[in-house]
Amino acid sequence: MTYDVNFGWTGTIGNVLLGATKADGGSREVSYRIGGGTTLPFLEKPVGVKSPLIAFEICDNPVYWSPIIRNYCGDLLDDLSGWTKAADKQYGVDLIRLYLTSTKQRNFSEMAAVGRAVETVLSSTGLPLVIEGSNEPRIDSEVFQKCGETGQGERLLLGTAEASRYRSIAAAALAYDHSVIAQSPIDINLAKQLNILLREIGVRHDHIVIDPYTGTLGYGFEYSYSAMERIRYSALKGDVDLAMPMICSAIDALTVKEVREADPVIQDEMAVTWEFYTGLAAAVAGAEILCVRHPKTIPMLRAALEGMQAGAGRAGTAGGQ
Amino acid sequence: MPTVTFLPSYRKIDVERGCTILDAAQRAGLNVNVICGGQGKCGKCVMFVQAGKTSFDLQKYFRFFNEDEIRRGACLACVTSVDGDIQVTIPESSLIQEQKILITREDLPIEFRPSVRKFYVQLQPPSLADPSPDLSRLLWGIQKSGGPVAEKMYAPLEVLREIPGILRHSDWKVTGTIALVPGGYRLIDLQENDTAMRLYGAAVDLGSTTIVVYLWDLVTGKVVGIASNYNKQISCGEDILARVNFARKNGLAKLQALAVESINTALTSAADNAGIDREDIYEVVIAGNTVMTHMLLGIDPAYMIAEPYVPVVRRALSVAASRIGIACNQNCGLFAFPAVSDFIGGDIIADILACGMAEREEISLMIDIGTNFEVVLGNREWMFSCAGAAGPALEGGEVLFGMRANPGAIEKVTIDPTTLAPAYTTINSAKPRGITGSGLIDLLAEMLVAGIIDRTGRINTGIENDRVRKGDHFPEFVVVWERETAIGKDIVITENDIKNLIMSKASVHAACVTLMKEAGVTRHEIATIYFAGAFGNYLDKKNATIIGIIPEIGIDHVRNIGNGAVAGANMALINRSKRKTLDEIAYKIAYIELNAEPSFMEEYTSSAFLPHTDLTLFPAVQEELEATRNHGKE
Repeated sequence: MTYDVNFGWTGTIGNVLLGATKADGGSREVSYRIGGGTTLPFLEKPVGVKSPLIAFEICDNPVYWSPIIRNYCGDLLDDLSGWTKAADKQYGVDLIRLYLTSTKQRNFSEMAAVGRAVETVLSSTGLPLVIEGSNEPRIDSEVFQKCGETGQGERLLLGTAEASRYRSIAAAALAYDHSVIAQSPIDINLAKQLNILLREIGVRHDHIVIDPYTGTLGYGFEYSYSAMERIRYSALKGDVDLAMPMICSAIDALTVKEVREADPVIQDEMAVTWEFYTGLAAAVAGAEILCVRHPKTIPMLRAALEGMQAGAGRAGTAGGQ
Repeated sequence: MPTVTFLPSYRKIDVERGCTILDAAQRAGLNVNVICGGQGKCGKCVMFVQAGKTSFDLQKYFRFFNEDEIRRGACLACVTSVDGDIQVTIPESSLIQEQKILITREDLPIEFRPSVRKFYVQLQPPSLADPSPDLSRLLWGIQKSGGPVAEKMYAPLEVLREIPGILRHSDWKVTGTIALVPGGYRLIDLQENDTAMRLYGAAVDLGSTTIVVYLWDLVTGKVVGIASNYNKQISCGEDILARVNFARKNGLAKLQALAVESINTALTSAADNAGIDREDIYEVVIAGNTVMTHMLLGIDPAYMIAEPYVPVVRRALSVAASRIGIACNQNCGLFAFPAVSDFIGGDIIADILACGMAEREEISLMIDIGTNFEVVLGNREWMFSCAGAAGPALEGGEVLFGMRANPGAIEKVTIDPTTLAPAYTTINSAKPRGITGSGLIDLLAEMLVAGIIDRTGRINTGIENDRVRKGDHFPEFVVVWERETAIGKDIVITENDIKNLIMSKASVHAACVTLMKEAGVTRHEIATIYFAGAFGNYLDKKNATIIGIIPEIGIDHVRNIGNGAVAGANMALINRSKRKTLDEIAYKIAYIELNAEPSFMEEYTSSAFLPHTDLTLFPAVQEELEATRNHGKE
């Protein structure tokens, strides 16, 4: 018995290029063209696109990072270059996502340090980069400007634009040809509205990745799932303002009550399990990029995704293009 | 007794010492604007004392006036008492402005067929040869003069008792008044001699803020007097909910009496202005919302304001006007419009009647916007309705410089896309004091087109222009610089104002879409959108579409019907067959409870964007926005 796995849909998820290799004017060893889907995840044979990608999240000031990661990775957290290298070579991720947590300090103004952090990560890995700027409107513009400038030519993915603050990030993305993460609070209409706003100030659709906002499994993920599913359905039915790849980062996976209050002996395992299942659920909901913080989650997630892809036909092709 | 002379009309009235100027003005038949019900709160009844002695606490009400006004002897009429002969000037702005009222339409002329008619008859006195009873003689006479068939008419006991005396005293020359009532034709009055030319009827819009009365000559079919008056119930609560709660606590009697008094005041001034006797008013037709109608009739409205929101009665009611205290002929009939639910009342049925949507094959969408809004979608076969809270923003409330449509209110705005300088007009061309609902809608549309705000209504503070500022609490746009205003400060619109406006417009649009989905109708199938109520009168239809209050169907298909409640009441008064259709219309309308509609929130969120998240619903707006933006980039 055969199915039409496209269910008569005519829409295609748009492509977004992450990272630029030498051929594209950058210095990345690999780049990914994500998106391109024409049906729900794991239903179609891979179209030469590695998906979903796994991104490993790091930061430039680990004071703000989970003690669980500190316990596992140790001093690596204080060595941005070493941490990046470990992620790339040891943990085997596809992308590095750098959080500029240093900008959270009161009255932060060291833009040169922002540039240096981005520089360090770029020079420590050949993987494409996702960079999270500040969360402070006062310095937003400068931080994004600095990131954009430092990563010029590398086709970064800059985060995170929201309806209330998207102009400065968009300005940096437009000036230096980077892409943008567009985050809205678990609502298909708000997701679409932000994409329209970004388009109207010049950010092209192939430079936008949707962040539907992900709550951890058991802490709102069912809403995220529903919003993602609806976003994807609309896109496949032809709504181009929603036809972008999605990124999911369930950052509270390491801080939920069950992990926080777990017996110290199993706390690490509990954190990994929570992160793994949330990531896997996000993949099923249609995410093209899954972000994790615990190194041990990565191989588990990789194996599970490969298993599911095998079910769809054959294993996904190796990354790169 | 002191005499109060009102200028510029030189209308005079004698009042007792200590009476307020407001009372004097109302007794003189002037329709003073008193939103607060005469409590000195709204500052709308400003008058200028030219000569004579009055008592007014200027210090207490200082905030309502500017220096110039104080120099000219300004006072608030509702809290100023008359201490001797005085002369008072009433500025135009303190009188209730006549609303644009649609009475007849070219495409639907109203046939003049009132339900009350008078017949003058000269009867042969009875004799042994013709000993038929007085009543038969009278009714036969009426039939012969063109009245209904004698057998179909009946006379109530009160009239029967009068017949023998009147017939003989008048030497058998009498005028009978016949009314078509639910039970048939009824002889409601008998007068000596020929009074057939003295037959009047009143159409009343019983609003919770204002009462409007149209007095018709039911012989010639002409309007002879119009009056409006505030609803005195305001002293028991500003909004309907407050008044129902007042009734729960203190009983219904006071509210009932105040409603009647308000109607009587308006009726009296209309009759006085027209120079007619209230005794010659034989019919009163009332269109009011469900709670107002209940209160007027003394029916307990308490069960309507809590779940499951049940009114006592929906159908149209005919009662004797004298039974509730309406001051007109003692046999005058009163007809109250039917309702659909507690939220869709007789005023909305009157709107429907006025716009004619219930008579046509094509589909219409009718929207009545105030603090609450009502939407009706349908045609002669089916109708859906819903109601909701729009919030006060569209009327100028909850907006920093929002105001009602009073002099000095900015009512139209355009913005130069290059300099961002607004051009505006104000009511009565007075120096600007604030922005009225229509002005706010213009502003929103123009700011969107000029790129000052984005589609979520956020101000682009990156724009380098003096008018775009960070503001104390929210980013803001300066509409009028201080030096041009009458209030001594910059008139601005803030991002928060814009957010409130967008929330209001989103609820109205989401309600429209909810009904459309319920009926399976797309915007292409809607032939006409009608705006009822004062709000629609001043509205720029194009801008209303640009910001997406209403579905985009082309501005040529959007029409204002003005005060549809009084227009509908007028139609029901002068044409009895219209009245017959009302219950039918009311029963045909299905009421959709938006709170119980799971998709409403979803529609609301997608409508909370300019004009809408689904841009394909607004293709012309989208085209225009893109054109202006591309033009800007060149």
